[in-house]
Amino acid sequence: MTAGIGFPLFLVFAWCAIGVFFGFFVSERRIPALLAWTGSLASGAALWAAVASLIGNGEFHRDLWTVRSIGTVTISLDHISAFFLLLAALVVLASSIFSASYLRRYVGHYSLCAFNCWYQILLASIVWILIEDDVLGFLVAWELMSISSYLLVNFEHRREGTKQAGYLMLATGEAGFLAVSVALLFLASRVGSLEFSGFRGSSVEIGRMAHWSVFLLTFFGFSVKAGLAPVNSWLPRAHPAAPANVSAILSGTILNLGIYGIVRVNLNLVPVRTAAEGSILLIIGAISALLGILYATTESDLKALLAHSSIENIGIVTLGLGAGIIFTAYGRPVLAGMAFIAAFYHMMNHSLYKSLLFLGAGAIDECAGTRDLDRLGGLIRVMPYTASVFLVGALAISGLPPFNGFVSEWLTLQTLLRSAELPSTVMRLVFVLCGAALALTAALAVTCFVKAFAMGFLGTSRSKKRPAKDASRAEVVPMALLGALCLLLGVLPTYVVPMLNRTLALIIDREATAALVPPFFSGSPAHGELPAAFVADFHNLGAQVGQFLPGRGLVLLHRGGTENPVVFAMSPSYACVALGVFLVLIWIVVRRTTARRTAVRRELWAGGIPRLLPEMTYTATGFSNPVRVVFQAIFRPGSMGDTRQTVAVHFRTAIHRQRRNIYPADSLFFYPLGDAVIWLARQFAGMHHGRLNAYVGYSLGFLLIVLILFRVS
Amino acid sequence: MSFWFWNGLKRGIQSTRYPRLPETTPGVTPGRPMATTFASAEEAAHAASGCPVGAITAAGREALIDLRTCIHCQRCRFGGSPPVEWVNDFEWTQLARTQTSFEPLNRSFQRSLHIMVVDAGDCGACLREIKQLNNPLYNIHRLGLFFTPTPRTADVLLVVGPVTENMRGPLEKTYHAMPQPKKVVAVGTCAITGGVFGRTFASAGGAGMVLPVDLEVPGDPPPPLAILHGLLVLTGRKSLQLSQTAAAS
Amino acid sequence: MTIAPPSHSPLDLEGLITLLNERFGTGISLLKEAPGLVVRVLDQAVLRAVSRFLFWEADGFFGGLIVEERFGEWTLQYLFLLRHIGWVDVVVRSPFAQKAIPSIVAEVHAADWYEREAEDLFGIDFEGHPRLGDFILHDETWQEHIAPMRKEFDAAVRNFEREPNQKWRPTLVVEDPGSFAMPVGPVYEGGLGEPIHFLLETVGEDVIREVPRLFYKYRAVEKIAEGKAVSDVLLLAERFSATSAFAHSLAFCQAIENAVQVEIPARASRLRVVLAELERLRHHAGAIEGICQSTALSVSEAHAAIIEEQLLRASAAFTGHRYLFGLNTLGGLQRDVEESGCRDLLRAIDDADSQLRILEDRLHYTSSFLDRLEDVGAISLENARDLDLVGPVGRASGVARDLRKACPYASYSEYSFDVPSEKEGDGYARLRVLFAEARESARLIQQAIASLEPGEISIPLDAPVSTVAFGWAEAPIGAALHGLRLDSQGRIERYRILTPSFRNWLGFHLAAEDFAFQDFPIILATFGLSATECDR
Ligand code: SF4
Repeated sequence: MTAGIGFPLFLVFAWCAIGVFFGFFVSERRIPALLAWTGSLASGAALWAAVASLIGNGEFHRDLWTVRSIGTVTISLDHISAFFLLLAALVVLASSIFSASYLRRYVGHYSLCAFNCWYQILLASIVWILIEDDVLGFLVAWELMSISSYLLVNFEHRREGTKQAGYLMLATGEAGFLAVSVALLFLASRVGSLEFSGFRGSSVEIGRMAHWSVFLLTFFGFSVKAGLAPVNSWLPRAHPAAPANVSAILSGTILNLGIYGIVRVNLNLVPVRTAAEGSILLIIGAISALLGILYATTESDLKALLAHSSIENIGIVTLGLGAGIIFTAYGRPVLAGMAFIAAFYHMMNHSLYKSLLFLGAGAIDECAGTRDLDRLGGLIRVMPYTASVFLVGALAISGLPPFNGFVSEWLTLQTLLRSAELPSTVMRLVFVLCGAALALTAALAVTCFVKAFAMGFLGTSRSKKRPAKDASRAEVVPMALLGALCLLLGVLPTYVVPMLNRTLALIIDREATAALVPPFFSGSPAHGELPAAFVADFHNLGAQVGQFLPGRGLVLLHRGGTENPVVFAMSPSYACVALGVFLVLIWIVVRRTTARRTAVRRELWAGGIPRLLPEMTYTATGFSNPVRVVFQAIFRPGSMGDTRQTVAVHFRTAIHRQRRNIYPADSLFFYPLGDAVIWLARQFAGMHHGRLNAYVGYSLGFLLIVLILFRVS
Repeated sequence: MSFWFWNGLKRGIQSTRYPRLPETTPGVTPGRPMATTFASAEEAAHAASGCPVGAITAAGREALIDLRTCIHCQRCRFGGSPPVEWVNDFEWTQLARTQTSFEPLNRSFQRSLHIMVVDAGDCGACLREIKQLNNPLYNIHRLGLFFTPTPRTADVLLVVGPVTENMRGPLEKTYHAMPQPKKVVAVGTCAITGGVFGRTFASAGGAGMVLPVDLEVPGDPPPPLAILHGLLVLTGRKSLQLSQTAAAS
Repeated sequence: MTIAPPSHSPLDLEGLITLLNERFGTGISLLKEAPGLVVRVLDQAVLRAVSRFLFWEADGFFGGLIVEERFGEWTLQYLFLLRHIGWVDVVVRSPFAQKAIPSIVAEVHAADWYEREAEDLFGIDFEGHPRLGDFILHDETWQEHIAPMRKEFDAAVRNFEREPNQKWRPTLVVEDPGSFAMPVGPVYEGGLGEPIHFLLETVGEDVIREVPRLFYKYRAVEKIAEGKAVSDVLLLAERFSATSAFAHSLAFCQAIENAVQVEIPARASRLRVVLAELERLRHHAGAIEGICQSTALSVSEAHAAIIEEQLLRASAAFTGHRYLFGLNTLGGLQRDVEESGCRDLLRAIDDADSQLRILEDRLHYTSSFLDRLEDVGAISLENARDLDLVGPVGRASGVARDLRKACPYASYSEYSFDVPSEKEGDGYARLRVLFAEARESARLIQQAIASLEPGEISIPLDAPVSTVAFGWAEAPIGAALHGLRLDSQGRIERYRILTPSFRNWLGFHLAAEDFAFQDFPIILATFGLSATECDR
């Protein structure tokens, strides 16, 4: 199998290199096509490698070269890497095809040659990170990814706000990188090896304190990239600045890389084993999820909304990981397995629907000229295809069956409910609170995406410019592809769960599939977790059902242990079939009953005014304002009051209302911190007055301090 | 608040028995002038000339009243001598002048009629009297009559006021927003003929100038029971009796 | 604009004349004339200063603006009511050729809508007014530059040429990308609300500001009265606003009676008090019903509705008309009442009074009801004084003005009654004022009926010729002023109605700022204004 993986991996880099190379020679107008072709071919090769690795059993491992006095640069592709590679390849494939048409808008405005170059480097570096198996290479690849993604976000550098967004992204990213490097190099020095394989099993040797510091540093570092609270504010700024195809990759892949880092280091190399560490993940995940969706709901820039919602989804993933760690710590491997499966399932889903939605936002931006939901409206009439694929994405991300978001959120929630079996009361309480936060998040997500879809596609437009046409085929097809995957993952979870279980074998101790996908047709009820009678019951049922229904049961089902006999079951596939049947039935009934009636189209009733003006229709801000009012305590630091301009006491000539969406962590901590730094710098700026003797004085004073310090030590 | 509930119950049923029984409580109707036979033709002519809106026409010794234009100024009752006779009834509904026949709404509306009102410039009295229909003394819900907040679900449109220029558009919009079948009732003298406001640059001089009116409920304002009678006629639960004689006059 | 404290030593007429002469010297000329003083403004440059002086320093009540077109020039008459002095008319003449007349809005905010109205109907431009146009004649229905109140405009012509502005858009002032205007009306509540178009400027559930668009019911009463006989215009005065029909017909009749300076029979003037207070009581019962309805407290709504209907029935039994039409006539009343009728009325009044007390008591102990009224739609004393709000709305904010006390008419000076007022200016204060006024009305009716003596009910009175007439009455909603000019045949040449609703609607937007959407009906109901009275 090894050769079967090495070749496609080589192809990935080869295609990227070809892309970069030819980018310098073809004309600007040809670059979108070049990028689309090389990008798709490269991601196709990555897909090949990932699928080959996931299907095959053998692990791919290769030492590339040995640098003396530093170590060996190795690459390997285990199942976890392959899983992330699969997601990355899917997202990049869709976004590359999308680019073919989308990038044309930049011809003549910005240098597409540069874009092509950074795009290919980003692609290559993402794959490199995933297959890298030693500290040095990992860090170099990580930095390459950071810089190339920064350059891509900064692409429309002449637009207002882009540069600031880019700097913020770069600065926070570098802070995270620093933390990760310190932790990994420290680990390497302790273990005496730069290779990841040397780290495995070292968690015991390095001691508790060191373990904790490595955990905290790496978790912080990776969570910056993943966009977890409280270091998430670069995300909602970077997305609106970035081109849509970059946003899709940023959200669908690079956030995942943050999760990959956490999984690789904290679950695989130096696995965390205590409930305390798990609960940090759990709580931060829950907070990110809730904050993210709150800010998403009240946001009116479509791409910023999607960015906030990414924070939410990554929060849910982290929450699942945290739950898994805690279950592991309390010796519940099956539950831990379920939690990890749920988390990975959700991450996969998020990659798919979020890149779909970002591409959709790009298409809207391109056709309607704005992404401001307060200005958009009525697009479904001119963009029916984009509207339908965007609707699929919105339904999926809202967690509604039969789409994939439902399955993973449901699994996560159900797993959290199993916390009743944990021995620690405090931990149970934490789980209950996080579960409640997750439930609230799921509910708000529906509000949020009802708003995103309805304000964008339904109603009437509030902007002057009228969109003329739908997105091109090259844009709709990749979105439709992602939408189809969303539906597939939502309908066939019973096939996905075993796959995930296999993928996660490295970090899950025990098989969890059996606890989730009941073995209807596998005659032997030999699964230790399940009481024989129970399995027998379902076996009979399954046998009966199986006579006329296909497959592996297509039911996700779980039954708790003896002390907590909860049973939960769902079947999105059957539900999907039932949904279809009912829809057809309703359609028939409606057609039959109204066949002889004629419908008359009349103007909208608006209280008798001549016509409903666009400024009289609900805005996105208005739609979500109740949420803002209810959660005032969270939003308060960021929202401002009204200023009135008045003539002759009671003539209001203008009332200006200011609102800003600032995360509490920013307004309470980071902004004051930044201000303090600037203040401090100002104080020192006074020292720069250009008088030579004073500078000599500074040097002497500094020397003195150094000498004193050395004496003391 | 339980005491509200209890106090509400304690007052018992206050509603009128109309249309099952006649309603004769003093003050439910201001009454109306009726055709009067005077001692001489001069007296009749005198009565006719005393009416500020020309609602009285003299035909020999007979003075005939056109309720459609009468504005209840009471001048023929107190101002002129000898007075025109007044009668305290309220079943005044009559066919709109533009209509030749009237077909009540079919049976399915008898116990469920949804009413939309448009105030097209009335003085406030007709609207108030329509609102009174909702109070416990009239309580038209018991008869299956309901005010509806949107024309989309309305079966009948009550128009009050002479239809001002500013309200003409909204009135037409409301009418067009209503589903078929729909009926229009002009309530009050202003809505029938324009009343004291007449037909000017600012008022159309009655709902009939703008919409196809089916029934007219004269009166300035018509008391609640007169409006109720109009609604009952519309659903075929009362017949147009008086109107025939009134129209003949 | 600084608010000068009202002078403590009350100004008398002589003092005022001295002060005015001192201040404005040759800019004005003064003329003593019943019922007060006429200030001719010779130099328009002092108009603003004069109005500021009368409004702020002399603490005058701004009655309104009467515009006339006479002898090829505009005559603008600004009415002020000064305590202890009476009516002071500031008269400005301006030839048609003059481009604009200085606006006094910056000095007297209450003049805002009067100037807009004059601009819309006469085509007079006011210099310094921040927002003119699209007022009574809606731009989407009427062509700009139609001036129906001009003499040359023929009211009877309907199908005149016009090009309404199809592109009309409301003036919105909230600057927020997410703000929008929620339209309500003109046909709302199933048409049971009077036609007014409200634009609630909002960013969702909390409304930042509200703009009412009135005059949907503009029937041009002032225009169609021109050239008509006085007795015919009396019908108009009575019928343009039925909820205060008696008060307006009273003001109209008193205008003529003032002009010819006759004393009407005592029985008539006392009965007029009975009927005016009966109307007030009935109106307030209706207003209270509206407030109960707006808070969805159905039993109390039904309670108030029954009181209102019983009073309507009592009115019809007493006078032959449920809304007291056809009673006032020049020189008295059209019909007399019988002894038994008075007894029946007294019984009905007692009943209504006690029922209202019961209702007030119960509402007072319903915290869920009070929660919805308290601090809702508050208007400060300062704002109420700025805009000179009248009636229960003004009194709830502490502006305790009442024409029945300030310049008594009919036989009000014979009876003892209070003018209730509150300080908070919120919805609950307005409700309390309504209840208290209803009580006072019942008290007045009892006193007036007790004082009735047999006698003549009217004296014959012919309409005067070539004169101006001015009358007033405290309508249920507030001060109603009627001004008339009669031509040489005793026909109406100019008829001006200054209504309390017009005044209070102007202040409505101050109460409807920064509120939650669900409070809107409550603010509307506690104001208890009439669109028909405002629109005319
Ligand atoms: S009440 Fe008045 S309008 Fe009616 S008929 Fe008599 S005089 Fe004419």
